[in-house]
Amino acid sequence: MKYLKQFSTVASATGLGLLLSTGLTGCVGGGDQQTQEQQQPKGAFVIIEETEPGKYKIKDEFPADETRIVLKQLDGTERVMTQEEMNALLIDEEAKIDNGTSNLTQPQMSSQGGMGLGETILASAAGAIIGSWIGSKLFGNQNYQNNRKAGYKTPSTFTRSQNSFNKAKTSTTSSKKSGFFGSSKTGSGSSSFFGG
Amino acid sequence: MKLHKTVPLDTVNLESLGFVWHTDSDKSSYISDELVVINPIEAEAYYEAGNMLYEMFIEAAQYVIDNNLFHEIGIPFNLVEIIKESWENDVHWHLYGRFDLAGGIDGKPIKLLEFNADTPTALFETAIIQWAILKKNGLEETSQFNGLYEALVENFQRLVTLEESVESFYEKYDGWKFLFTSVKGNAEEENTVKLLQHIANEAGYVTEFAYIDEVEFSEEEGIFFEGENYELWFKLIPWEDIALEESDLAMILTDIIKNQKAIIFNPAYTLLFQSKGILKVLWDLYPNHPLLLESSFEPLEGQKQVSKPVFGREGGGVTIIDEQGKELENIPSDYENHKMLYQAYTELPTDSQGFSYQAGVFYAYEACGLGFRKGGKILDNMAKFVGHIVAE
Repeated sequence: MKYLKQFSTVASATGLGLLLSTGLTGCVGGGDQQTQEQQQPKGAFVIIEETEPGKYKIKDEFPADETRIVLKQLDGTERVMTQEEMNALLIDEEAKIDNGTSNLTQPQMSSQGGMGLGETILASAAGAIIGSWIGSKLFGNQNYQNNRKAGYKTPSTFTRSQNSFNKAKTSTTSSKKSGFFGSSKTGSGSSSFFGG
Repeated sequence: MKLHKTVPLDTVNLESLGFVWHTDSDKSSYISDELVVINPIEAEAYYEAGNMLYEMFIEAAQYVIDNNLFHEIGIPFNLVEIIKESWENDVHWHLYGRFDLAGGIDGKPIKLLEFNADTPTALFETAIIQWAILKKNGLEETSQFNGLYEALVENFQRLVTLEESVESFYEKYDGWKFLFTSVKGNAEEENTVKLLQHIANEAGYVTEFAYIDEVEFSEEEGIFFEGENYELWFKLIPWEDIALEESDLAMILTDIIKNQKAIIFNPAYTLLFQSKGILKVLWDLYPNHPLLLESSFEPLEGQKQVSKPVFGREGGGVTIIDEQGKELENIPSDYENHKMLYQAYTELPTDSQGFSYQAGVFYAYEACGLGFRKGGKILDNMAKFVGHIVAE
């Protein structure tokens, strides 16, 4: 049977032997803990698909060193958008945010078939990077958060991309709650067998 | 039953390991200086029982969800949604649980007493301490049914690979941060959580520890500690406590799961397994199954039985009732107004001093480790941990 073992084998296969000699206090919670600082990619590679004339959805996105947006158009052609194109779209979108006509800040954005190209880019991780200078206008806007989701083609793309990015948070205005179980009853001393 | 006398571990040694709850309130040692001796066939039977029972629990939980029996088995209404959400998606992986079993030694059949699936303790004792006893007593080459430590390392990696093989872990792991949480002021719970954190470090995760009252929650953004966002969160706090004592938190966590902002361990659906009400569902689905004891929400007719609250702990609220319906033994508790489950009585194996022994089989993707506890007829919080060895 797989887990019928001797101490010598378990100790050599895992860190158990080390734990028994150094103890838990030697390796947990101390300031000497090793955390692998990973190089975080600074940009995003985004694929945006035209779903109907003038309507777009994010098909996929990955962290990348440089920000690139690939556009798959209705006629099947694919092209990489230039920095100028992106900037123009974002400036355009910024004006809409300012005058309140951007779909991204509407409570019930019609996600039928997708958003306009500028909106889609802003809803992508790339948008968050490129448009960081207008991003602050969107942060704290609850509708923006919901509409970002609507910009994604499938929920799994959403999950993957959320997981792919180091979501370094600038302080936002959204509320976080803490202090739960603050005055919690302590357990029962020597052996609190939860559920046991 | 066969017991093997050992030289006990000294307290300095235990405390350096982080095991600080070694002495009970009556000043007696919580760790027995004896080991239960079982043979390889008995070890194999415990392993098989754990694996078979888990399959049955999956079936029973599906049945509860399909037939909307949440209320029947005592699940708080404000957890139903998060339980369903967590059940639907594979990313909500069950890290580990512990089956409490009667029998399995002295020729007695193995019978399920309950499944601690949400917040199982006795992890330290089973995974670490009983190996340390072997080491101290020069029994390094003696076998144990105990791969709990390495099974947890692998199962932590499966949270990312989501399949049996863990080979692709480093390729797929993207630096997601893992926060480990317990309540303040309970050394046992805190160090159990820190042990899990240590094992997650070994598995390759970036980890941190925080007390529950320091953790920040946001429906929209997820789980935070000191300004850092954590995609993965382990809490040694029972789901039903969250539901009953901090209902706001239950609501926020439901939204966090729906918004895919974090993954919580153990997942909410493990409360279905943890409720003793599911024992009745199991009996309905698998009547007279050799691993099960007859269970009902009504007192059983004319047989010796035990009544226990659906979410009781440490034997609290458990009553032994004889064939005539007379109470023989009872451990008073705050659980009296919980829904009660009635379960046929089964005699636990006993030693020469009259202590009753109960087996705990840990499950992390498969049955992977065994430990015993000994105590009175009803095992309460004064029960002792007893290690084991496997010998012909």
